[in-house]
Amino acid sequence: MEFGWTQEEAAHRERVRAVLARVLPPDWEDIARHGPGSDEQTAFSKIFCPALHAEGLLIPHWPKPYGGQDESIWRQFIMAEELWAVGEPRGPQYMNVNWVGPVMFKFGTQAQLETYLPPILAGQAVWCQGFSEPSAGSDLAALRTAATPVEGGYRVNGGKIWTSYAAQADTCFLLARVPAAEGVSSGKAAIVILLVDMKSPGIQVKPIPALVGQGDIHEVFFDDVFVPAENRLGAEGQAWEIINYLLQHERVGIPRYALARRTLDRAVARLKSQGRWDDPVLRDRAGQALMLCEAARMMCYRVVDGKARDLPDDAFGSLARVAVVEAENGVSAFLTEFMPDGLLGGDPMQQAHHQRAIAAGVAAGPAEIQLNLIAQRWLNLPREPRAR
Amino acid sequence: MNHGLTEDQASILAGLDQLLGSRAPAAPTHPVTFIHDAALDGAIAEAGFLDIAREPGFGALDAALIVERLARLPCALEAAASAIVAPALDIAAGLRPIALATDPAAAVRHLPMARALLYPRGEAAVLIEIDPARVTPVETLFAYPYGRLDGLEGLAERVVGEAATLRRRWRIALAVEAAGCMAAGVAAVVEHITTRHAFGRPLGSFQAIQHRLARAAETTEATKWLAFRAAWTDSEADAAIAAGFAQQRIAELTYDLQQFSGAMGLTLEFPLHLWTYRLRALAGELGGATVQSRAAAAAAWGD
Ligand SMILES: Cc1cc2nc3c(=O)[nH]c(=O)nc-3n(C[C@H](O)[C@H](O)[C@H](O)COP(=O)(O)OP(=O)(O)OC[C@H]3O[C@@H](n4cnc5c(N)ncnc54)[C@H](O)[C@@H]3O)c2cc1C
Repeated sequence: MEFGWTQEEAAHRERVRAVLARVLPPDWEDIARHGPGSDEQTAFSKIFCPALHAEGLLIPHWPKPYGGQDESIWRQFIMAEELWAVGEPRGPQYMNVNWVGPVMFKFGTQAQLETYLPPILAGQAVWCQGFSEPSAGSDLAALRTAATPVEGGYRVNGGKIWTSYAAQADTCFLLARVPAAEGVSSGKAAIVILLVDMKSPGIQVKPIPALVGQGDIHEVFFDDVFVPAENRLGAEGQAWEIINYLLQHERVGIPRYALARRTLDRAVARLKSQGRWDDPVLRDRAGQALMLCEAARMMCYRVVDGKARDLPDDAFGSLARVAVVEAENGVSAFLTEFMPDGLLGGDPMQQAHHQRAIAAGVAAGPAEIQLNLIAQRWLNLPREPRAR
Repeated sequence: MNHGLTEDQASILAGLDQLLGSRAPAAPTHPVTFIHDAALDGAIAEAGFLDIAREPGFGALDAALIVERLARLPCALEAAASAIVAPALDIAAGLRPIALATDPAAAVRHLPMARALLYPRGEAAVLIEIDPARVTPVETLFAYPYGRLDGLEGLAERVVGEAATLRRRWRIALAVEAAGCMAAGVAAVVEHITTRHAFGRPLGSFQAIQHRLARAAETTEATKWLAFRAAWTDSEADAAIAAGFAQQRIAELTYDLQQFSGAMGLTLEFPLHLWTYRLRALAGELGGATVQSRAAAAAAWGD
């Protein structure tokens, strides 16, 4: 057991920082303050990702046959920390390298790899994740969007909601349900994954005005949208396995505490410049927020360590998610109480962090679902009887 | 970065488990607020487990692994000061048990059994050797033996290092010990609510209980990993963060654990208090969470 970085890992972190210092434009904060899904940040991601690729930093963790360097998960995570801390200049494209690619390697056909990987490598691909529906959020398996088998593929009808990046996306990673009559069975087994061209006739995208950053949530309507059979990922009935694989990649992919910590560092610098850092109450509260950030960091490191050492998946990812939600909200609560001016135009980056923080406990599966998973899979408590 | 045990660490802990397995802690014959097991204390010390940080190639993290394991026992062993604090100061191996105080005149944890009392005096860490005859036991709900020294007259203070070192290692020791107590307390309550039924189902199947225990599990794991990191880095900031985090969470965690044990949890017969009332004792040490929190802020961001 040890908690240090190798020289090589420390040098990697320095290199990522140096690249960021060189590649991020002077007005980066203006770009970043609207959030990863904003028009500004999406446009910038198409400049940034190719630049990152030129530095060998876009997909180094991918396997060699797919253009990567089989880099360790720790190096990947170090980079993710640095990128998330500055506001994620990969914009929506972080998804591509974190999970779209890895899911393709494992479950995609040769033709799918040839179609979808080149735009990702070119840093020009924007994906969206069409999972949640108006009546299927936490209970994802209740989704109803229908994929009716037709000659050569499927006809999709239904609607998705809360879909991030949908207005910008080229492709939707869509979950839909094969009708019970046609499907192998109902429930999870009747879900299929379709890789849908967002320019297909019958798709309509509506942004949802929200407290979170721009471009973060949309409604997507599917009206008799034809999806060719070759765009189905995996077999019918395999979707749930693929989703679980995907979520494992997704959940460690975002070191949210890194931005929380950086936001806190900035706040303390501002408090000092305002002559307020002598206040012991304020220091106490800043220290508490700091503890939450560091707790979240250590919990996420434990998840990464499990992957690095190839340990069987346990419920620790859920423990870490809860710690991350607490860190995000702890920092944001501290700032809201002691630096409300930051949300009144005083610090756009404070507001940008706030907007990410308030979604932390909901996006990618609510905190309460994580608590359920901890109770059942970590503490082995008896399940709550299911409602019929 | 590697959260797995080294071969050495695994074999040390296996040896410790073997020792603990071969001799169950003495069960109290009458209701007690704390359990002291002098024989077990002696056996652990004799086997060298508390001197691991003094061995070449080993350090405070190895000691922390041992202390966390020992803290899960129902009995209140003095391990943290001996294994984690003393090796960083000029204190000979074997001079133990050691009681840690911020004020030598106050009621101090472990003092009735201690051979040495360690405390800060100005910038220095000072130690006095204790004559047990001069210590009056203090009755308390806290699940540690507490005692008060009759005064410092005639006792020679010896400077053993810097107060900052004492404080830093004490914070680490406190966090590590808290992590062990939390783990054992959570395990005791999980067992209780899994076996006890109400309203036709196990208590543990109620989500209201599950969520709070899940958070207790998160608190326990976060405390543990922060504490182990602090033991490894031995840095001011990490030590203050680990101790402060633990202290900050103790009130909520112990309330929930007590609550889910019902009236039974308020008896001396049910063992839960042996962990919750150690945790509650630790919550107020070194000035409590706010002192640690401000120290963490100062270490991270300066003045
Ligand atoms: C910023 C943002 C971006 C998002 N991006 C996407 C995206 O790109 N693609 C996508 O598919 N989805 C996306 N989502 C949707 C997200 O996955 C859902 O919001 C989430 O799964 C919860 O579903 P819901 O909002 O319908 O909440 P509900 O299911 O209506 O639940 C509401 C609340 O009830 C509680 N709750 C629910 N179930 C339980 C339970 N079993 N036990 C205890 N408490 C419970 C929780 O507190 C939960 O927050 C995004 C959400 C946000 C906020």
